[in-house]
Amino acid sequence: MSFNRRAFLKTSTAIAALAVAAPHLALAQAEPEQGGTLRVAVDQAISVIHPLLTRVNPEYLAGELLYSGLTRLGTTMEPEPDLATSWEADDDLTVWTFVLREGLKFHDGSDCTSADVVASFEAILNPELASPASNNVGPIETVEAIDTTTVKFTLSSPYADFPAALAYNNARVIPASVISDDFGSLRSTAIGTGPFKLVSYEPDRLVVVERNPDYYDPARPYLDRVELHVFPDPGAQVSSLIAGDIDLVMTIGPNDFMRLEGQDGVDAQRVASGQFCNVNFGCDMAPFDDVRLRQALALTIDRQAMVDFMTEGFGTMGNDTPLNEAYPFFQPVPQREKDIERAKVLLAEAGYPDGFEAELIASDRPAIRTQLAVALKEMASEAGITINVTTMPHATYLDQVWTKGAFYIGFYNMQPTPDGIFSLLFTSDAAWNETRWNNKEFDELIGKARAVSAAEERTALYTEAQALMNEEAPSIIPAFFDMLGAKRSWMQGYDIHPRGSVFRLDFAWLDGTAPTRQG
Amino acid sequence: MSANYILKRIALIFYTLFIVSVLVFGITQILPADAAVMMLGENATQEALEALRQRMGLNDPVWMQYLHWAGGVLQGDFGTSLRTGQPVGPALFSALGTSLTLAGFALIFMLILAMPMGVIAAIRRGKPADLIVGFISYIGVSLPEFVTATLAVMLVADMWGLLPPAGYIPLSQDFWGGLERLILPVVVVSVMMIAHVSRMVRSELVDVMHTDYIRAARLKGLHPRRVLFRHGLRNALLPTITIVALDVGYLLGGVIVVEEIFSIPGIGRSLMSAIQNRDLPVIQAGVMIMAATYSIVNFAADLMYAWLDKRIQYD
Repeated sequence: MSFNRRAFLKTSTAIAALAVAAPHLALAQAEPEQGGTLRVAVDQAISVIHPLLTRVNPEYLAGELLYSGLTRLGTTMEPEPDLATSWEADDDLTVWTFVLREGLKFHDGSDCTSADVVASFEAILNPELASPASNNVGPIETVEAIDTTTVKFTLSSPYADFPAALAYNNARVIPASVISDDFGSLRSTAIGTGPFKLVSYEPDRLVVVERNPDYYDPARPYLDRVELHVFPDPGAQVSSLIAGDIDLVMTIGPNDFMRLEGQDGVDAQRVASGQFCNVNFGCDMAPFDDVRLRQALALTIDRQAMVDFMTEGFGTMGNDTPLNEAYPFFQPVPQREKDIERAKVLLAEAGYPDGFEAELIASDRPAIRTQLAVALKEMASEAGITINVTTMPHATYLDQVWTKGAFYIGFYNMQPTPDGIFSLLFTSDAAWNETRWNNKEFDELIGKARAVSAAEERTALYTEAQALMNEEAPSIIPAFFDMLGAKRSWMQGYDIHPRGSVFRLDFAWLDGTAPTRQG
Repeated sequence: MSANYILKRIALIFYTLFIVSVLVFGITQILPADAAVMMLGENATQEALEALRQRMGLNDPVWMQYLHWAGGVLQGDFGTSLRTGQPVGPALFSALGTSLTLAGFALIFMLILAMPMGVIAAIRRGKPADLIVGFISYIGVSLPEFVTATLAVMLVADMWGLLPPAGYIPLSQDFWGGLERLILPVVVVSVMMIAHVSRMVRSELVDVMHTDYIRAARLKGLHPRRVLFRHGLRNALLPTITIVALDVGYLLGGVIVVEEIFSIPGIGRSLMSAIQNRDLPVIQAGVMIMAATYSIVNFAADLMYAWLDKRIQYD
């Protein structure tokens, strides 16, 4: 599947034009049919439906069905209008004004106005709630209502990606009255402006939503009902899809993809993504504070072998930077190739002519972390480096190793923008500063790109940042995973999204060959 | 069986539960995870974490936290899940209900098959019928559930399309639809139990049929069927009841794989995901509820002993 970067660069320069164009792009297919019940299989319990607190993909899906944000991510990562129809920034990109749609209604019939938007963002930024969005919506300093449909955000620093950042999964608008009266009630009920309303909620088994007749777009959603079934076993998901019991499986593994490809009545779906599994170095701790050791390890890696081994061929090569073709503003930098001789030279220069020994920690979830650790151990041994792999339960890892350790395995979803991933993980002030690389030059490049809106200039800055990161290797990023999913052919208007946590089921519909189902 | 005995037994159950509660509370204290971090996630600031620790009493001495928690449990309050922010009790009791539904059907199905198999094998000892039953049980004992479950789904659902492959519907919502989806998991969890229960019935019945009182019953001219069922089987059943009571424990906690494969939201799965997420209140409550259920079932088994065999006098 190809990602249309050029189209993105063209449209993102003209936000107003985009606002008009994007919905049409998404609808340029067969005429959608109304009605029907869609059954979706998800792989984890939907433990949380509080839209500001969801943390995993099945929860994000429920949140997206029930709630709206100011913007949402389009199929090629560009920000699209959601509750806001248009937005503009001052020349500094620090003051952003968003205009809401007229006549927005919450599911309970009450009006949704700028006051609700202000209250929602104040709740998101409240440290006591610790909403995951607080690290992802940009450097918001204040948010004010100008009139009932205009909201002004003042940022502490320029941020060109602000509209895309506001599309974050947890940046949802909820009623101000609920926030002040009974905020906790959103853990079991839902009052949003989303395309669907909550019918029933059983976290470990089933979430049912029905069409919201007051949704701001009278045509959408096309489905009457969506059911999210929790099927923890991948085999059960695929069997149920083949049996026609389920219409859509959100994520599948490479083996199931190959099993489903070519099956009658089933479409296996695939898209290149920026999701990766990486090796993090604690750059502030011995021995990896020595850049030569990091480079030496990165040079031991056969990237194509990593793609074959980690993704079973369903992925793309990495170059020790978190960006790839799936991202906007991407230009490749020269690919680092396996070079054992050079690695040995670097080791000798660093004072380890006979190699060294290190403990590499991998959590047990997902299992791919351990796979990467073992593969690295094998590849590094060629250069005389001895790696001892330690696996531990994920919760223990989060508590003891994550963002603290000297040498461990990470795993990350694609972010909507290059800045999203760089300043989440790799800048000095990153929310999850895993490598403590703390490189001033790199920080400056990322900061400069935030203050520029011209696409070419941003691409140049991110390419420079990539080159610097590739050179210094605070982290080894050997491969990116493709997103894999599967649906019945009778389900239309749905493509798997590279971000992994964006679903857009309000555009999905069932054609005449779909089975009719009672709710 | 005296009232005194029953009271003593009940006291023993509470004593057991007390020990379990201390153990599980102790273990969850040792687990390397901070409840405040688990609750607020990776985005929390240090100040927010500290405030939450204060509010949850996590800075109190451990014994005080234990008393606070145990006091809540005695009043039926199992605390709040760190992950969902919802009360733990209702969610777990609903999961327990699901597990008991599966366990109940599985026990009935198992007994209907295993008892006759054991009896036939015993009275036809060494004959082909005995060998066939023995063969079937060995296969049952040696196949783990993840194999039988996967095979069952592949054959019955994928190839023949006779039953839906997975999913659980509460019987109260849709009785026949729910029953249809219970068939495969019930058969799968029964396979192993059928194996050991039929073996147990067979060997006990063979022993009993060689005792003096059976010979006496035969010699006084009783109908062979009456000898077999009234005198033989009744006495052979006692150890079988113990096995069945132990199997209830297996059905509650040991069928996580089956619950995963068939997407049944039982208590085993709840506990498993709580352990993965270090959701301490759910782990504590889940273990307590399972221990309590298990104790009660074993108590019931003891009472049944006395009812079946009047020679057993508890005092």
